[in-house]
Amino acid sequence: MVNQIFLQIVTGLQLGAIYVLIALGLTLIFGTLGVVNFTHGALFMLGAFSAVIISGNYGFVAAIIIVPPFLFFFGVLMERFIVRFFYDRPHTDQILVTFGFAIVIQETLKWIFGSNNIPFKMPAWGRGILKLHEYVPFLDGFVAYPKWRFILITVSFFTVIALFALLQFTRFGMVIRAGMNDSEILSFLGINITRRFTLVFGLGSMIAGLAGVFAGPVTNVDPGLGMFYLVPSFLVVVIGGMGSLPGAVLASFLLGMAQSFTVSFAGLQAIVVYIVAVVVLLFMPRGLLGKKGVLD
Amino acid sequence: MSEMIQKPDSNAFFSVQDIHSYYGESYIVQGVSFEIAEREIVALLGRNGAGKTSTLRTIARAHEPFLKKGKIVLNGMPLHQLEAHQAAQIGVQLVPEDRRIIGGATVEENLILAQIAKPIGWSFEQIYEHFPRLAERRKQQATTLSGGEQQMLAVARALARDLKLLLLDEPYEGLAPIIVREIERILLEVKKLGITTIIVEQNAVAALKLADRAIILDTGLVAFDGSAQEVLDNKELREEYLAI
Repeated sequence: MVNQIFLQIVTGLQLGAIYVLIALGLTLIFGTLGVVNFTHGALFMLGAFSAVIISGNYGFVAAIIIVPPFLFFFGVLMERFIVRFFYDRPHTDQILVTFGFAIVIQETLKWIFGSNNIPFKMPAWGRGILKLHEYVPFLDGFVAYPKWRFILITVSFFTVIALFALLQFTRFGMVIRAGMNDSEILSFLGINITRRFTLVFGLGSMIAGLAGVFAGPVTNVDPGLGMFYLVPSFLVVVIGGMGSLPGAVLASFLLGMAQSFTVSFAGLQAIVVYIVAVVVLLFMPRGLLGKKGVLD
Repeated sequence: MSEMIQKPDSNAFFSVQDIHSYYGESYIVQGVSFEIAEREIVALLGRNGAGKTSTLRTIARAHEPFLKKGKIVLNGMPLHQLEAHQAAQIGVQLVPEDRRIIGGATVEENLILAQIAKPIGWSFEQIYEHFPRLAERRKQQATTLSGGEQQMLAVARALARDLKLLLLDEPYEGLAPIIVREIERILLEVKKLGITTIIVEQNAVAALKLADRAIILDTGLVAFDGSAQEVLDNKELREEYLAI
């Protein structure tokens, strides 16, 4: 019993870790630019595809080094040439254009790589299992868990820490936080906030790319990947409170746990994220940590 | 009276030449022109909806209202061709209506944010010397300040930048009379610094105390441009355009 609960918690953490990595960029972009970016799932998928190709040819470390910067530049170009023209348009227009672009990415990948899953070979150092009973005293018998999933949780943890540190302790972060509150006043103070926001879009895309690199080996890498994660990661952002980073982290683990603990009930597991969303939004319309006014 | 003020090209320190700006489809500023000499303080007056705030925001190159036509020139620089942050970098400082203190940041962080873009003006020492109240509260969340203190911070934030043209939008709005007097004292000090200033204020009498000159707007056009004393002396003018 204890073993099972423990494993379900770990599984919840691991599912949450994937959601966090995708939702962080999504909520960061919404909170600063006010843009609902439906391309975000596709960016995650682009990260996974790039990672599987680069890793197959040059090794996994090369993928870690190349993919996030590649997604950063992809995001910067996307903001510069598409998204920027939709800042003043209604959210529905933003959703249409970013959703359309997501389909363009998806179909392009399908055209190049076909519809089948591309096997993602983990690096040697990430394979195998961790014998948890050797580390955790209250577990009895043999309790093991795939090593890669702990790596995923660790990467997610440090990404959250790094992003919070960037936003809380750097001057760039101070400008971005201020810009989330009132970007116009910053421009009256001489700050080119548009340029900063382009970088934020790049940063959000970069985190999606990082998610693709580390989640790729545990998810399927096929052209349906982006859409598969788009809806739950949006729910994470909404449940957490649109634009709230701590909210996104909290909601990711809440959804991860909800899915993990309903694993024995296949039907329920498929819909539990929506049940959680309905319950949370019914009682807290702005989400767990949402502030007043983000959507006003 | 509106037809009397038309100065197309100008050598003045600051000039606004036949500007037309829009909020979406609404035509708000409908051909405003005026000039301001260096170090001069001008009160921009008029009823609600006369286009005062819109004129200030157009000068500060805000995203809205959108400037469709006209020129704005500061010290030979074509402001009308610039964006808000570029206008701020050449010395335009708007202290907006409702002060727009940045939430989630301390008093000091609000001032730091004002000095991220070059060129900068007063040092923190100078600011804290002139605004001891802000010095006391430098670590406090800025949005927890009282209305008067927030107004001080908004003015201090402008002085933290190297400013050539100060735009004050309703500096006394929503403040208790005793606080109004305190802000008035600060603005009189600012006046001594010789900064060219445009002040928009519902409280016309208070604005005229500070100003050398008054410009009255009516439905998006200049209806009067003359000395501050003239407005104070001319009852008909005040009744027609200011309702005081």
